[in-house]
Amino acid sequence: MGGFAVRVQEVPERAAQVALPAFADIVREHQGMVYSLAWHFLHDRALAEEMAQEVFMELHRHLADIQSPEHLVFWLRKVASRRCIDQTRRRAFWPKFGLDEVPEPVAKTRSSDPMLSRTLAKLVASLPEKARAVVVLRYQEDLDPSDIAQVLDMPVGTVKSHLQRSLGMLRDKLARTTGEIAI
Amino acid sequence: MSNLEDELRRALRREEPPADFADRVLAQLNQPAAPSWWERFSVLMKPPRLQWVAVTLMVSILLPTAALRYRREQQIRAEGERAKEQLLIAVHVAGSRLHHAQRKVLESGRMETRL
Amino acid sequence: MKILKVLTVCVLVSAAAYGQALDLKNLEKLSDKAKNVTDITLDGSLLKFAAKFLSNDDPDQAKVKKLVAELKGIYVRTYEFESEGEYTESDLAPIRSQLRSGWSRIVGVHSKKERDNTEIYLKSAGAAEPGGLAIVCANPTELVVVNIVGKIDLDELSELGGNLGVPKLDLEKSKPSKPESKKDND
Repeated sequence: MGGFAVRVQEVPERAAQVALPAFADIVREHQGMVYSLAWHFLHDRALAEEMAQEVFMELHRHLADIQSPEHLVFWLRKVASRRCIDQTRRRAFWPKFGLDEVPEPVAKTRSSDPMLSRTLAKLVASLPEKARAVVVLRYQEDLDPSDIAQVLDMPVGTVKSHLQRSLGMLRDKLARTTGEIAI
Repeated sequence: MSNLEDELRRALRREEPPADFADRVLAQLNQPAAPSWWERFSVLMKPPRLQWVAVTLMVSILLPTAALRYRREQQIRAEGERAKEQLLIAVHVAGSRLHHAQRKVLESGRMETRL
Repeated sequence: MKILKVLTVCVLVSAAAYGQALDLKNLEKLSDKAKNVTDITLDGSLLKFAAKFLSNDDPDQAKVKKLVAELKGIYVRTYEFESEGEYTESDLAPIRSQLRSGWSRIVGVHSKKERDNTEIYLKSAGAAEPGGLAIVCANPTELVVVNIVGKIDLDELSELGGNLGVPKLDLEKSKPSKPESKKDND
Protein backbone atom coordinates (compact mmCIF):
# COMPACT_ATOMS: atom_id res chain seq x y z
CA MET A 1 0.00 0.00 0.00
CA GLY A 2 2.94 2.30 0.66
CA GLY A 3 4.06 1.48 -2.86
CA PHE A 4 0.66 2.55 -4.10
CA ALA A 5 0.91 5.93 -2.38
CA VAL A 6 4.40 6.48 -3.74
CA ARG A 7 3.25 5.66 -7.27
CA VAL A 8 0.41 8.14 -7.01
CA GLN A 9 2.53 10.95 -5.70
CA GLU A 10 5.15 10.38 -8.34
CA VAL A 11 2.93 11.22 -11.30
CA PRO A 12 4.01 14.59 -12.54
CA GLU A 13 2.59 16.13 -15.71
CA ARG A 14 5.02 14.65 -18.19
CA ALA A 15 5.45 11.35 -16.43
CA ALA A 16 2.32 9.81 -17.96
CA GLN A 17 4.37 7.33 -19.93
CA VAL A 18 6.34 6.26 -16.88
CA ALA A 19 3.21 5.90 -14.74
CA LEU A 20 1.25 3.94 -17.34
CA PRO A 21 2.29 0.43 -16.30
CA ALA A 22 1.16 1.22 -12.77
CA PHE A 23 -2.03 2.78 -14.06
CA ALA A 24 -2.65 -0.31 -16.17
CA ASP A 25 -2.65 -2.36 -12.98
CA ILE A 26 -5.18 0.00 -11.47
CA VAL A 27 -7.42 -0.33 -14.50
CA ARG A 28 -7.22 -4.12 -14.52
CA GLU A 29 -7.89 -4.35 -10.81
CA HIS A 30 -10.97 -2.14 -10.84
CA GLN A 31 -12.34 -2.49 -14.35
CA GLY A 32 -14.85 -5.14 -13.27
CA MET A 33 -16.33 -2.91 -10.61
CA VAL A 34 -16.56 0.18 -12.79
CA TYR A 35 -17.86 -1.65 -15.84
CA SER A 36 -20.43 -3.54 -13.79
CA LEU A 37 -21.69 -0.36 -12.17
CA ALA A 38 -22.19 1.15 -15.59
CA TRP A 39 -23.69 -2.00 -17.09
CA HIS A 40 -26.16 -2.60 -14.30
CA PHE A 41 -27.11 1.04 -14.30
CA LEU A 42 -27.38 1.63 -18.02
CA HIS A 43 -28.15 -1.94 -19.15
CA ASP A 44 -26.36 -1.20 -22.36
CA ARG A 45 -23.03 -2.92 -22.87
CA ALA A 46 -21.53 -0.57 -25.42
CA LEU A 47 -22.50 2.44 -23.39
CA ALA A 48 -21.23 0.79 -20.23
CA GLU A 49 -17.85 0.21 -21.84
CA GLU A 50 -17.70 3.76 -23.04
CA MET A 51 -18.69 5.05 -19.61
CA ALA A 52 -16.12 2.87 -17.87
CA GLN A 53 -13.40 4.08 -20.21
CA GLU A 54 -14.32 7.68 -19.49
CA VAL A 55 -14.14 7.04 -15.76
CA PHE A 56 -10.62 5.69 -16.05
CA MET A 57 -9.59 8.55 -18.31
CA GLU A 58 -10.85 10.93 -15.67
CA LEU A 59 -9.03 8.95 -13.00
CA HIS A 60 -5.80 9.34 -14.91
CA ARG A 61 -6.28 13.08 -14.93
CA HIS A 62 -6.91 13.14 -11.18
CA LEU A 63 -4.50 10.46 -10.07
CA ALA A 64 -2.54 12.91 -7.97
CA ASP A 65 -5.64 13.52 -5.83
CA ILE A 66 -5.98 9.89 -4.79
CA GLN A 67 -4.81 9.38 -1.24
CA SER A 68 -5.13 5.65 -0.67
CA PRO A 69 -6.46 2.44 -2.20
CA GLU A 70 -9.67 2.89 -0.24
CA HIS A 71 -10.00 6.42 -1.52
CA LEU A 72 -9.45 5.14 -5.03
CA VAL A 73 -12.33 2.69 -4.75
CA PHE A 74 -14.55 5.37 -3.26
CA TRP A 75 -13.55 7.80 -6.01
CA LEU A 76 -14.27 5.28 -8.77
CA ARG A 77 -17.67 4.40 -7.36
CA LYS A 78 -18.56 8.05 -6.92
CA VAL A 79 -17.52 9.14 -10.37
CA ALA A 80 -19.01 6.11 -12.09
CA SER A 81 -22.34 6.61 -10.33
CA ARG A 82 -22.42 10.31 -11.05
CA ARG A 83 -21.61 9.81 -14.72
CA CYS A 84 -24.24 7.10 -15.08
CA ILE A 85 -26.89 9.33 -13.55
CA ASP A 86 -25.89 12.21 -15.83
CA GLN A 87 -25.79 9.94 -18.85
CA THR A 88 -29.30 8.67 -18.20
CA ARG A 89 -30.63 12.17 -18.03
CA ARG A 90 -29.02 13.06 -21.35
CA ARG A 91 -29.88 9.90 -23.24
CA ALA A 92 -32.13 10.23 -26.25
CA PHE A 93 -34.59 7.57 -27.34
CA TRP A 94 -33.98 5.17 -30.20
CA PRO A 95 -33.06 6.64 -33.56
CA LYS A 96 -33.71 4.44 -36.55
CA PHE A 97 -30.81 2.60 -38.15
CA GLY A 98 -30.54 0.76 -41.40
CA LEU A 99 -29.53 -2.86 -41.13
CA ASP A 100 -26.55 -2.27 -43.38
CA GLU A 101 -24.97 -0.12 -40.72
CA VAL A 102 -25.09 -2.80 -38.09
CA PRO A 103 -21.63 -4.07 -37.19
CA GLU A 104 -21.13 -7.51 -35.72
CA PRO A 105 -21.61 -7.42 -31.97
CA VAL A 106 -18.27 -7.41 -30.24
CA ALA A 107 -19.16 -7.70 -26.59
CA LYS A 108 -19.87 -11.27 -25.65
CA THR A 109 -22.83 -11.72 -23.43
CA ARG A 110 -22.79 -14.08 -20.52
CA SER A 111 -23.87 -17.58 -21.27
CA SER A 112 -26.41 -19.50 -19.30
CA ASP A 113 -27.89 -16.36 -17.78
CA PRO A 114 -31.08 -17.29 -16.00
CA MET A 115 -34.10 -15.43 -17.26
CA LEU A 116 -34.86 -14.33 -13.76
CA SER A 117 -31.54 -12.64 -13.19
CA ARG A 118 -31.83 -10.94 -16.52
CA THR A 119 -35.37 -9.84 -15.84
CA LEU A 120 -34.37 -8.55 -12.44
CA ALA A 121 -31.38 -6.70 -13.82
CA LYS A 122 -33.58 -5.14 -16.44
CA LEU A 123 -36.12 -4.11 -13.85
CA VAL A 124 -33.37 -2.52 -11.79
CA ALA A 125 -32.30 -0.60 -14.88
CA SER A 126 -35.82 0.74 -15.18
CA LEU A 127 -35.83 2.31 -11.72
CA PRO A 128 -35.52 6.10 -11.39
CA GLU A 129 -31.85 7.11 -11.63
CA LYS A 130 -31.03 7.77 -8.01
CA ALA A 131 -32.96 4.77 -6.74
CA ARG A 132 -31.20 2.68 -9.35
CA ALA A 133 -27.80 3.90 -8.22
CA VAL A 134 -28.70 3.08 -4.62
CA VAL A 135 -29.83 -0.45 -5.51
CA VAL A 136 -26.78 -1.17 -7.64
CA LEU A 137 -24.37 0.10 -5.02
CA ARG A 138 -26.18 -1.89 -2.34
CA TYR A 139 -26.39 -5.24 -4.12
CA GLN A 140 -23.47 -5.16 -6.48
CA GLU A 141 -20.98 -3.52 -4.12
CA ASP A 142 -22.62 -4.62 -0.87
CA LEU A 143 -22.33 -1.13 0.58
CA ASP A 144 -23.98 0.08 3.77
CA PRO A 145 -26.56 2.84 3.40
CA SER A 146 -24.11 5.20 5.11
CA ASP A 147 -21.43 4.37 2.53
CA ILE A 148 -23.94 4.74 -0.28
CA ALA A 149 -24.92 8.11 1.15
CA GLN A 150 -21.31 9.25 0.97
CA VAL A 151 -20.78 7.98 -2.54
CA LEU A 152 -23.93 9.59 -3.87
CA ASP A 153 -23.76 12.61 -1.61
CA MET A 154 -27.28 12.18 -0.23
CA PRO A 155 -28.71 11.82 3.28
CA VAL A 156 -28.74 8.33 4.78
CA GLY A 157 -32.47 8.56 5.30
CA THR A 158 -32.97 9.20 1.61
CA VAL A 159 -30.83 6.19 0.74
CA LYS A 160 -32.94 4.00 3.00
CA SER A 161 -36.15 5.34 1.48
CA HIS A 162 -34.89 4.64 -2.00
CA LEU A 163 -33.98 1.10 -0.98
CA GLN A 164 -37.29 0.39 0.63
CA ARG A 165 -39.36 1.76 -2.22
CA SER A 166 -37.21 0.13 -4.86
CA LEU A 167 -37.47 -3.31 -3.29
CA GLY A 168 -41.22 -2.92 -3.17
CA MET A 169 -41.39 -1.87 -6.80
CA LEU A 170 -39.10 -4.66 -7.91
CA ARG A 171 -41.11 -7.21 -6.00
CA ASP A 172 -44.34 -6.07 -7.61
CA LYS A 173 -42.93 -5.80 -11.11
CA LEU A 174 -41.26 -9.15 -10.89
CA ALA A 175 -44.44 -10.79 -9.73
CA ARG A 176 -46.25 -9.39 -12.73
CA THR A 177 -43.56 -10.20 -15.24
CA THR A 178 -43.30 -13.83 -14.21
CA GLY A 179 -47.07 -14.19 -14.21
CA GLU A 180 -47.15 -15.03 -10.55
CA ILE A 181 -50.10 -13.87 -8.62
CA ALA A 182 -49.32 -12.57 -5.18
CA ILE A 183 -52.12 -12.94 -2.73
CA MET B 1 -36.35 -20.52 -1.54
CA SER B 2 -34.35 -17.42 -2.52
CA ASN B 3 -35.43 -14.06 -1.36
CA LEU B 4 -35.40 -10.89 -3.36
CA GLU B 5 -32.18 -9.53 -1.93
CA ASP B 6 -30.26 -12.69 -2.72
CA GLU B 7 -31.65 -12.64 -6.23
CA LEU B 8 -30.61 -9.03 -6.60
CA ARG B 9 -27.07 -9.86 -5.50
CA ARG B 10 -27.04 -12.62 -8.06
CA ALA B 11 -28.46 -10.47 -10.82
CA LEU B 12 -26.14 -7.57 -10.04
CA ARG B 13 -22.93 -9.47 -9.51
CA ARG B 14 -19.85 -7.97 -11.05
CA GLU B 15 -18.84 -8.83 -14.58
CA GLU B 16 -15.62 -8.21 -16.36
CA PRO B 17 -15.61 -6.05 -19.46
CA PRO B 18 -14.17 -7.47 -22.71
CA ALA B 19 -10.62 -8.75 -22.40
CA ASP B 20 -9.06 -5.85 -24.28
CA PHE B 21 -10.76 -3.17 -22.20
CA ALA B 22 -7.66 -2.13 -20.27
CA ASP B 23 -5.61 -2.07 -23.45
CA ARG B 24 -8.13 0.24 -25.05
CA VAL B 25 -8.05 2.60 -22.09
CA LEU B 26 -4.29 2.71 -22.23
CA ALA B 27 -4.37 3.17 -25.99
CA GLN B 28 -6.55 6.21 -25.55
CA LEU B 29 -4.14 7.60 -22.99
CA ASN B 30 -1.26 6.99 -25.37
CA GLN B 31 -2.84 8.76 -28.28
CA PRO B 32 -0.92 11.90 -29.07
CA ALA B 33 -2.93 15.03 -28.65
CA ALA B 34 -4.05 16.60 -31.89
CA PRO B 35 -1.70 19.44 -32.75
CA SER B 36 -3.03 22.83 -31.75
CA TRP B 37 -3.75 25.39 -34.41
CA TRP B 38 -0.61 27.25 -33.40
CA GLU B 39 1.55 24.21 -33.81
CA ARG B 40 0.12 23.57 -37.25
CA PHE B 41 0.59 27.17 -38.17
CA SER B 42 4.18 27.29 -36.94
CA VAL B 43 5.02 24.23 -39.02
CA LEU B 44 3.85 26.04 -42.09
CA MET B 45 5.98 29.03 -41.22
CA LYS B 46 9.17 26.95 -41.07
CA PRO B 47 11.41 26.29 -44.10
CA PRO B 48 9.67 24.00 -46.56
CA ARG B 49 8.53 20.86 -44.79
CA LEU B 50 5.67 19.92 -46.96
CA GLN B 51 5.78 16.36 -45.77
CA TRP B 52 5.10 17.51 -42.20
CA VAL B 53 2.33 19.77 -43.36
CA ALA B 54 0.80 16.87 -45.21
CA VAL B 55 1.11 14.57 -42.20
CA THR B 56 -0.42 17.18 -39.92
CA LEU B 57 -3.28 17.75 -42.31
CA MET B 58 -3.89 14.04 -42.64
CA VAL B 59 -3.86 13.54 -38.88
CA SER B 60 -6.21 16.45 -38.47
CA ILE B 61 -8.63 14.95 -40.94
CA LEU B 62 -8.27 11.24 -40.25
CA LEU B 63 -8.34 11.29 -36.47
CA PRO B 64 -11.72 12.99 -36.16
CA THR B 65 -13.12 10.83 -38.97
CA ALA B 66 -11.99 7.65 -37.27
CA ALA B 67 -13.29 8.90 -33.96
CA LEU B 68 -16.64 9.76 -35.52
CA ARG B 69 -16.90 6.37 -37.14
CA TYR B 70 -16.01 4.62 -33.90
CA ARG B 71 -18.61 6.70 -32.07
CA ARG B 72 -21.23 5.89 -34.67
CA GLU B 73 -20.55 2.18 -34.37
CA GLN B 74 -20.73 2.42 -30.60
CA GLN B 75 -24.04 4.21 -30.93
CA ILE B 76 -25.44 1.57 -33.26
CA ARG B 77 -24.29 -1.17 -30.94
CA ALA B 78 -25.89 0.61 -28.01
CA GLU B 79 -29.19 0.93 -29.87
CA GLY B 80 -29.01 -2.69 -30.90
CA GLU B 81 -28.55 -3.80 -27.31
CA ARG B 82 -31.54 -1.73 -26.25
CA ALA B 83 -33.67 -3.20 -29.02
CA LYS B 84 -32.55 -6.66 -28.03
CA GLU B 85 -33.57 -6.13 -24.43
CA GLN B 86 -37.00 -4.91 -25.56
CA LEU B 87 -37.35 -8.03 -27.66
CA LEU B 88 -36.45 -10.28 -24.74
CA ILE B 89 -38.97 -8.53 -22.51
CA ALA B 90 -41.69 -8.82 -25.16
CA VAL B 91 -41.07 -12.52 -25.66
CA HIS B 92 -40.98 -13.09 -21.95
CA VAL B 93 -44.27 -11.25 -21.35
CA ALA B 94 -45.98 -13.13 -24.18
CA GLY B 95 -44.57 -16.45 -23.12
CA SER B 96 -45.43 -16.02 -19.47
CA ARG B 97 -49.05 -15.18 -20.26
CA LEU B 98 -49.30 -18.16 -22.55
CA HIS B 99 -47.69 -20.35 -19.95
CA HIS B 100 -50.07 -19.03 -17.32
CA ALA B 101 -53.06 -19.83 -19.48
CA GLN B 102 -51.77 -23.27 -20.28
CA ARG B 103 -51.29 -23.99 -16.62
CA LYS B 104 -54.85 -22.98 -15.84
CA VAL B 105 -56.13 -25.14 -18.66
CA LEU B 106 -54.19 -28.14 -17.43
CA GLU B 107 -55.50 -27.57 -13.92
CA SER B 108 -59.06 -27.53 -15.13
CA GLY B 109 -58.74 -30.03 -17.92
CA ARG B 110 -60.77 -27.89 -20.29
CA MET B 111 -59.87 -25.32 -22.89
CA GLU B 112 -62.72 -23.09 -21.89
CA THR B 113 -62.70 -22.96 -18.19
CA ARG B 114 -64.32 -20.97 -15.48
CA LEU B 115 -62.75 -21.20 -12.04
CA MET C 1 -47.15 -2.83 0.94
CA LYS C 2 -49.72 -2.87 -1.60
CA ILE C 3 -49.71 -5.93 -3.69
CA LEU C 4 -51.21 -5.49 -7.06
CA LYS C 5 -53.49 -8.21 -8.09
CA VAL C 6 -52.68 -8.83 -11.60
CA LEU C 7 -55.63 -9.89 -13.51
CA THR C 8 -54.50 -10.36 -16.89
CA VAL C 9 -56.89 -11.12 -19.48
CA CYS C 10 -54.61 -12.64 -21.86
CA VAL C 11 -56.08 -12.95 -25.16
CA LEU C 12 -53.69 -14.89 -27.11
CA VAL C 13 -54.39 -14.22 -30.61
CA SER C 14 -52.28 -15.88 -33.11
CA ALA C 15 -52.11 -13.97 -36.30
CA ALA C 16 -51.55 -15.69 -39.56
CA ALA C 17 -48.05 -15.63 -40.92
CA TYR C 18 -48.76 -12.82 -43.25
CA GLY C 19 -51.56 -11.19 -41.32
CA GLN C 20 -51.76 -7.60 -40.23
CA ALA C 21 -51.01 -6.46 -36.73
CA LEU C 22 -53.91 -5.59 -34.47
CA ASP C 23 -54.72 -1.93 -34.22
CA LEU C 24 -53.91 -1.09 -30.60
CA LYS C 25 -54.11 2.69 -30.87
CA ASN C 26 -57.23 2.96 -28.74
CA LEU C 27 -55.26 1.68 -25.76
CA GLU C 28 -52.94 4.66 -25.83
CA LYS C 29 -55.30 6.75 -23.77
CA LEU C 30 -54.86 4.31 -20.90
CA SER C 31 -51.23 5.41 -20.53
CA ASP C 32 -52.25 8.57 -18.74
CA LYS C 33 -54.23 6.66 -16.14
CA ALA C 34 -51.79 3.82 -15.66
CA LYS C 35 -49.21 3.67 -12.93
CA ASN C 36 -46.85 1.61 -15.06
CA VAL C 37 -46.86 1.12 -18.78
CA THR C 38 -44.93 -1.24 -20.99
CA ASP C 39 -45.16 -0.34 -24.64
CA ILE C 40 -43.10 -2.41 -27.04
CA THR C 41 -43.42 -2.29 -30.80
CA LEU C 42 -40.96 -4.34 -32.78
CA ASP C 43 -41.80 -4.80 -36.40
CA GLY C 44 -40.09 -5.23 -39.71
CA SER C 45 -36.52 -4.08 -39.74
CA LEU C 46 -36.46 -3.15 -36.05
CA LEU C 47 -37.32 -6.72 -35.11
CA LYS C 48 -34.57 -8.06 -37.37
CA PHE C 49 -32.19 -5.44 -36.00
CA ALA C 50 -32.92 -6.51 -32.42
CA ALA C 51 -32.61 -10.20 -33.28
CA LYS C 52 -29.15 -9.58 -34.72
CA PHE C 53 -27.90 -8.77 -31.24
CA LEU C 54 -29.16 -11.98 -29.67
CA SER C 55 -26.28 -14.15 -28.65
CA ASN C 56 -25.96 -17.68 -29.97
CA ASP C 57 -23.88 -18.54 -26.94
CA ASP C 58 -26.72 -17.85 -24.53
CA PRO C 59 -29.22 -20.74 -24.63
CA ASP C 60 -32.23 -18.51 -23.88
CA GLN C 61 -31.27 -15.93 -26.43
CA ALA C 62 -30.56 -18.57 -29.02
CA LYS C 63 -34.08 -19.94 -28.48
CA VAL C 64 -35.56 -16.48 -28.84
CA LYS C 65 -33.56 -15.95 -32.01
CA LYS C 66 -34.98 -19.14 -33.47
CA LEU C 67 -38.47 -18.26 -32.27
CA VAL C 68 -38.60 -14.83 -33.87
CA ALA C 69 -36.87 -15.82 -37.10
CA GLU C 70 -40.11 -15.85 -39.09
CA LEU C 71 -41.97 -13.16 -37.22
CA LYS C 72 -43.13 -9.96 -38.81
CA GLY C 73 -43.83 -8.11 -35.60
CA ILE C 74 -44.24 -8.26 -31.84
CA TYR C 75 -46.44 -5.78 -30.01
CA VAL C 76 -46.84 -5.61 -26.25
CA ARG C 77 -48.98 -3.23 -24.23
CA THR C 78 -49.10 -3.59 -20.47
CA TYR C 79 -50.97 -1.18 -18.22
CA GLU C 80 -50.96 -1.37 -14.44
CA PHE C 81 -53.38 0.80 -12.53
CA GLU C 82 -53.45 2.04 -8.99
CA SER C 83 -57.05 1.07 -8.49
CA GLU C 84 -59.87 -0.80 -10.11
CA GLY C 85 -62.16 0.73 -12.65
CA GLU C 86 -59.52 2.67 -14.55
CA TYR C 87 -60.41 0.86 -17.72
CA THR C 88 -63.60 -0.79 -18.91
CA GLU C 89 -64.76 -3.35 -21.42
CA SER C 90 -65.39 -0.54 -23.89
CA ASP C 91 -61.64 0.09 -24.00
CA LEU C 92 -61.19 -3.48 -25.13
CA ALA C 93 -64.12 -3.44 -27.53
CA PRO C 94 -62.17 -2.27 -30.61
CA ILE C 95 -59.66 -5.05 -30.07
CA ARG C 96 -62.31 -7.68 -29.50
CA SER C 97 -64.09 -6.61 -32.67
CA GLN C 98 -60.89 -7.18 -34.65
CA LEU C 99 -60.60 -10.60 -33.10
CA ARG C 100 -64.06 -11.63 -34.26
CA SER C 101 -63.06 -11.82 -37.87
CA GLY C 102 -60.57 -14.45 -38.97
CA TRP C 103 -59.48 -15.34 -35.44
CA SER C 104 -60.23 -18.46 -33.43
CA ARG C 105 -60.30 -18.39 -29.69
CA ILE C 106 -58.47 -21.49 -28.56
CA VAL C 107 -58.31 -20.84 -24.84
CA GLY C 108 -60.46 -18.90 -22.45
CA VAL C 109 -59.77 -18.93 -18.74
CA HIS C 110 -61.95 -16.97 -16.39
CA SER C 111 -61.15 -16.98 -12.72
CA LYS C 112 -63.88 -15.70 -10.44
CA LYS C 113 -61.68 -15.75 -7.41
CA GLU C 114 -58.83 -13.85 -9.02
CA ARG C 115 -61.15 -11.96 -11.38
CA ASP C 116 -58.70 -12.85 -14.05
CA ASN C 117 -59.70 -13.27 -17.66
CA THR C 118 -57.33 -14.92 -20.07
CA GLU C 119 -58.08 -15.48 -23.73
CA ILE C 120 -55.91 -16.91 -26.44
CA TYR C 121 -56.69 -16.49 -30.13
CA LEU C 122 -55.04 -17.87 -33.18
CA LYS C 123 -55.58 -16.49 -36.60
CA SER C 124 -56.40 -19.35 -38.88
CA ALA C 125 -53.75 -19.56 -41.53
CA GLY C 126 -54.18 -23.08 -42.75
CA ALA C 127 -50.53 -23.80 -42.07
CA ALA C 128 -49.16 -26.40 -39.69
CA GLU C 129 -48.23 -23.67 -37.25
CA PRO C 130 -50.36 -20.71 -36.41
CA GLY C 131 -49.56 -17.57 -38.36
CA GLY C 132 -49.92 -15.28 -35.45
CA LEU C 133 -50.92 -14.92 -31.89
CA ALA C 134 -52.78 -12.45 -29.74
CA ILE C 135 -53.01 -12.49 -26.00
CA VAL C 136 -55.35 -10.36 -23.96
CA CYS C 137 -55.14 -10.63 -20.21
CA ALA C 138 -57.40 -8.49 -18.08
CA ASN C 139 -57.87 -8.13 -14.39
CA PRO C 140 -59.22 -5.24 -12.35
CA THR C 141 -55.88 -3.45 -12.08
CA GLU C 142 -53.95 -4.64 -15.08
CA LEU C 143 -54.41 -5.07 -18.75
CA VAL C 144 -52.01 -6.86 -21.04
CA VAL C 145 -52.35 -7.15 -24.78
CA VAL C 146 -49.80 -9.02 -26.82
CA ASN C 147 -49.95 -9.40 -30.57
CA ILE C 148 -47.46 -11.48 -32.51
CA VAL C 149 -47.57 -11.45 -36.28
CA GLY C 150 -45.91 -14.27 -38.13
CA LYS C 151 -45.22 -17.94 -37.70
CA ILE C 152 -44.68 -18.77 -34.06
CA ASP C 153 -44.17 -21.97 -32.18
CA LEU C 154 -46.51 -21.78 -29.19
CA ASP C 155 -44.73 -24.50 -27.26
CA GLU C 156 -41.39 -22.76 -27.62
CA LEU C 157 -42.93 -19.46 -26.62
CA SER C 158 -44.62 -20.95 -23.60
CA GLU C 159 -41.41 -22.62 -22.53
CA LEU C 160 -39.54 -19.36 -22.75
CA GLY C 161 -42.19 -17.64 -20.72
CA GLY C 162 -42.46 -20.33 -18.09
CA ASN C 163 -40.19 -20.61 -15.11
CA LEU C 164 -37.94 -23.08 -16.81
CA GLY C 165 -34.65 -23.10 -14.97
CA VAL C 166 -35.68 -20.02 -13.03
CA PRO C 167 -35.76 -20.17 -9.26
CA LYS C 168 -39.08 -19.39 -7.63
CA LEU C 169 -38.93 -16.15 -5.74
CA ASP C 170 -40.09 -15.65 -2.24
CA LEU C 171 -42.33 -12.70 -2.89
CA GLU C 172 -42.91 -11.87 0.74
CA LYS C 173 -40.91 -9.09 2.32
CA SER C 174 -37.27 -9.87 1.91
CA LYS C 175 -35.25 -10.59 4.97
CA PRO C 176 -31.53 -9.93 5.40
CA SER C 177 -29.62 -12.97 4.25
CA LYS C 178 -26.68 -12.50 6.58
CA PRO C 179 -26.63 -11.99 10.34
CA GLU C 180 -24.56 -8.85 9.97
CA SER C 181 -26.72 -7.63 7.17
CA LYS C 182 -27.60 -3.98 7.03
CA LYS C 183 -30.63 -2.76 8.82
CA ASP C 184 -31.50 -0.48 6.01
CA ASN C 185 -34.73 -1.65 4.55
CA ASP C 186 -37.72 -3.45 5.78
